[in-house]
Amino acid sequence: MGQPAPAVLLPDMSAAGEVSLESLRGKVVYVDFWASWCGPCRISFPILEQLRNELGPEGFEVLAINVDEVEADARQFLADVTVSYPVVRDANGTTPLAFGVMGMPTGYLVDRTGVVRVIHQGFRKSDGEPLRASIVELLGE
Amino acid sequence: MKTLTSLLMAVVLCGCETVQPWERGILAKEEMQWQTNVSEAQLRNQIYASKEASSGGAGASGGGCGCN
Amino acid sequence: MSRPKDERNKTVLALTSSALLLPAYQGALADAQPEFTEVGMRYSKYDEDDILSRKAFGGGSERYEIDVAQFHLLAPVADQWSFALDVAWEDMSGASPWFVGESASGSPKVIMSGASIEDTRTEVSGTTRYYFDRGNAGLNYTYSDEDDYTSNAVAVDGAFNSEDGLTTYSAAVSTSHDDIDPTQGTIPTNTLSARKDVNSVWVGVSRIVSKRALVRFGLSYTYRDGFLTDPYKGDDRRPDERKEWAASAGYRHFFDAPNAALHVDYRYFNDDWDVQSHTVDIAWEQNLPQNFRVTPFIRYYTQHEAEFFYNLEDPSYEYFADDYRLSAFGAFSYGLRLRHDFGDWSINLDAERYKTDESWGIYSGEESPGLVDFWRYGIGLDYIFR
Repeated sequence: MGQPAPAVLLPDMSAAGEVSLESLRGKVVYVDFWASWCGPCRISFPILEQLRNELGPEGFEVLAINVDEVEADARQFLADVTVSYPVVRDANGTTPLAFGVMGMPTGYLVDRTGVVRVIHQGFRKSDGEPLRASIVELLGE
Repeated sequence: MKTLTSLLMAVVLCGCETVQPWERGILAKEEMQWQTNVSEAQLRNQIYASKEASSGGAGASGGGCGCN
Repeated sequence: MSRPKDERNKTVLALTSSALLLPAYQGALADAQPEFTEVGMRYSKYDEDDILSRKAFGGGSERYEIDVAQFHLLAPVADQWSFALDVAWEDMSGASPWFVGESASGSPKVIMSGASIEDTRTEVSGTTRYYFDRGNAGLNYTYSDEDDYTSNAVAVDGAFNSEDGLTTYSAAVSTSHDDIDPTQGTIPTNTLSARKDVNSVWVGVSRIVSKRALVRFGLSYTYRDGFLTDPYKGDDRRPDERKEWAASAGYRHFFDAPNAALHVDYRYFNDDWDVQSHTVDIAWEQNLPQNFRVTPFIRYYTQHEAEFFYNLEDPSYEYFADDYRLSAFGAFSYGLRLRHDFGDWSINLDAERYKTDESWGIYSGEESPGLVDFWRYGIGLDYIFR
């Protein structure tokens, strides 16, 4: 926390090409590490989608990083729970290691200058409100 | 009892692999849980406990029945 | 046809309190509330083989049969809680051994209680569970009621993950207060009314061994106090106290190529009645195409007889029981489970065969003529509200 976020450059799961965290510089980004087998991840997706729809125009984006071992499992999950934010895939665990992920899911709220400001481990329904407050605060900086 | 305690310590302190949080997908599978069908397991344990002189071990014993 | 009351009630006997409270969450993720509400219904049939005529006076006889219906509900509540409700109804009928006598040839034979015993049991169990960042804690209350047996039990359990999430420590305590009120009939009972208390503590640790393996160990101590004698057996005099220890170990391993999981569980049990036992349970959870799963399982059990187990009574014994459950024996059981998931539904079918023999045990002792063999069948249907 308070450190620049590690670099992310990973293949996009919904389109050809790659997405980097760098390309989102200037926005407030929630970097979300998730897997299809993680229960709270399923709770987080609709809430993140809603926050992104609401605060996207003000410069908020979600970058979801899938860490499933089996890609088909992740695709099945995305077919059930559709989101409009970018979802990328890290098949060999490089980025979660670089970020120091301690549990699933873990989200890193990165400010407009690329610095990690909030680390959010686990996800419950009621986490949406405080997360929204943090995002709004960072958007105002 | 001593053997068990030392085995337990061995496991706690052991050189088990570090399995990162994002590498636990297989362990989260339903068929890898300690119990895969709770209702059936409850019934099985109840039947065994009422036909044999032993019970318990997997958790604390709960309420009783006069099962014959 | 109305049944004599004394026979009706011979079925009920509290040898062991038996509903086990298992901490519901012992997997790799102790800190997460269930995502969805799930409900399940099960019907099971438990059917004992007839007792052979060479082992019983008055020829062969039918034994016990139980129909069991179970209902299960698990629901997330608010943000960090869950509630579970389990209800079981049991309808029992048949005959059970009353006492053992000596036949003309000198071999012990069982005298059965006579046919058409009937009893019902209802058990209601509620569990609330709170999930915190690195674990969960549950509170359970279980009520069980039969004509002549009532039990109230409370249990508290908790699980706590290490910071790296590789190790989970668990513990549980439970206390149960049972009232036994045997109904007086033409056959005298041992008591008019009695109480029994069971207190139990358990600690366990589970550990992630690799990406494909988990191991756990547990230790439990149970103290039973009160009327532990069988009120309906001809002659039955047991100590009014029993101290039990159990140590258990479990292992789960996933194999990628066959897409299957191996389950191995072991328990060592020991008490101050001189009973000792070993139990090994092995299951192979084989995933198949089209969301089918087939699970063959086997179980071996062997026990040392209680120090006061004898087939034939002698008034000089301080304590005495001819109950086959306290004799030395070995038991093999094997079975198959079949599961199919379709959409939000899941159907389970299972069958198990259980057979006992004195010679299958690793401990030798007097063979009881009352040893039991049985079949168990079940069908269950589960639904998840996604």
